[in-house]
Amino acid sequence: MKRFQITFKGQVYELDVEEISSSAPTIKKSAPAPVPNTAPVTVQTPKAVQPTAPASGQTVLAPMPGKILTVNIKAGDAVKRGDVIFILEAMKMQNEIMANQDGQISSVNVTVGQTVSTGDVLAALG
Amino acid sequence: MSTTLEKLDDMNKRTQKVMAGGGTKRIDKQHALGKMTARERIDKLLDANSFMELDRFVTHRCTNFDMEKEEAPGEGVVTGYGTIDGRLVYVFAQDFTVVGGSLGEMHAAKICKVQELAMKMGVPIIGINDSGGARIQEAVDALSGYGKIFYKNTLASGVIPQISAIMGPCAGGAVYSPALTDFIYMVKNTSQMFITGPQVIKTVTGEEVSAEELGGAITHNATSGVAHFVAENDTDCLEQIRRLISFLPSNNLDGSPTVDSDDDPSRTEEDLNALIPDHSNQSYDMKEIITKIIDHGDFYEVQPYYAANLITAFARLDGQTIGIIANQPKVMAGCLDINASDKSSRFIRFCDAFNIPLLNIVDVPGFLPGTNQEYGGIIRHGAKMLYAYSEATVPKVTLVVRKAYGGSYLAMCSRDLGADQVIAWPTAEIAVMGPAGAANIIFKKDPDIKTKAEEYVKTFATPYQAAKRGFVDMVIEPQETRPILISTFSMLASKREGRPAKRHGNFPV
Repeated sequence: MKRFQITFKGQVYELDVEEISSSAPTIKKSAPAPVPNTAPVTVQTPKAVQPTAPASGQTVLAPMPGKILTVNIKAGDAVKRGDVIFILEAMKMQNEIMANQDGQISSVNVTVGQTVSTGDVLAALG
Repeated sequence: MSTTLEKLDDMNKRTQKVMAGGGTKRIDKQHALGKMTARERIDKLLDANSFMELDRFVTHRCTNFDMEKEEAPGEGVVTGYGTIDGRLVYVFAQDFTVVGGSLGEMHAAKICKVQELAMKMGVPIIGINDSGGARIQEAVDALSGYGKIFYKNTLASGVIPQISAIMGPCAGGAVYSPALTDFIYMVKNTSQMFITGPQVIKTVTGEEVSAEELGGAITHNATSGVAHFVAENDTDCLEQIRRLISFLPSNNLDGSPTVDSDDDPSRTEEDLNALIPDHSNQSYDMKEIITKIIDHGDFYEVQPYYAANLITAFARLDGQTIGIIANQPKVMAGCLDINASDKSSRFIRFCDAFNIPLLNIVDVPGFLPGTNQEYGGIIRHGAKMLYAYSEATVPKVTLVVRKAYGGSYLAMCSRDLGADQVIAWPTAEIAVMGPAGAANIIFKKDPDIKTKAEEYVKTFATPYQAAKRGFVDMVIEPQETRPILISTFSMLASKREGRPAKRHGNFPV
């Protein structure tokens, strides 16, 4: 552990710096070092940015809760917009879930018989 | 200026100045954005040469911040009247080339005048919005202008059809005038509506979003449900408004215009007999039923991209306008949810306000279950449908083509909510809940549950239990639907129904 003193915009801060080897990833929770004669440091964290929804068409979401009855695709398949890629049994109906854009299936996230809820990602399109 | 000729010259010069709007440069810019000018829009909207302009020489009287030096030809809005298919309408179009179409006291006064005239004459008003917002220099006078417009929008609601076209920016308080009107059109890529713009959102919440993503035509047509129609461009938008007007009466005391229909009223459609799949868990496209029943298969869908599990549309039967509310089994099994309830109840109320008979085509499995629906208030939203149907006194005809289960059966205007005629196809399943589920409850302890359940489905998943009680008036062959509906609506044309006197009901908003 090495101790440094830095001056930033006229404020004096003390820093404890510890070198950690990659083989021993120990996490030490050290008590904050007493910082004499310094004003509290206000940390400007970037404002929380809402995770922007993936651009439309990149994922196929479950429109309502139900059970996956059929999976018509596997990863790597090429699909066209409007192709029926899943049958979702919900509300006493076999609902056709279609690809929302042309592309290649990059992942299939559900299996036959799985129960899904509204908004679950069923598949991702590349 | 003494001679008559000079006076005429002077008038012509003044007129030319107003007609030139914000000048060639700004007009070119408007065109470069793919937008028409206010005057071009009005000319496109109305019958040729029918436009009569009012208040051409109105000017603002603001002196703050050197505004007295600012000339605003026509006050940034063109107002007047004209005809659509020969029928009188009032119109105002904000002119973005004149001080950004910004709204000040006199700009608002021009709009208010045509609102008043439209109400007095009992004819539709069409507002074309393309404005940067309030004219800040005019301060509270601008604010007062908005308030006056909102107030008149509300007074006119249910008296004359009010249609808003968003054909440019419409932000802040300005959005509420369109929101108070009956229908909002938005043009792809050139129109935006939002209360607070992308800049403010970025400052306050850190979210980064483009104006188009935040409040563009697709957003408000598909996600928020604020807008009712989307147009490819200005021309498409104005042509669509003409089409909408063709379905509507001029006011709440008038009937819709009758169109001479050369579509045979006694036309039968054999295809309808085979349209419903053999298994009730298979879907089909409700629009196939609609197109086969109505005149020339021609209907105008309202909010086609919002809550597509329920279809709302204007159409004609034997030349008479009807409003159609139909479940769409192809989308989310045709269930009712928050958005579908909201969309349908507003449409029902519009039709009721303007004497447009309602046709409800039912194939509904139920209300959508889920925490997001319950937390979102499906109870109060679903109540809107019950209220809107019960409140409506126009002819109400319910056609049950397949599922009509439980509460959703009631919400789609059952006999008990005042349907004047309930017609069912033999494929109808009018039941307290899905028959398989019901059988599982009733015969839970029965060792022979499978046979019993099958029997139950045969007996109860039919229209005949409801017909026994008179909840269904007729069970008909699907191919006969068109002639029977035409006869039904013509029979109901003289319907009169009273309601207890009240100030107004407490609609579950």
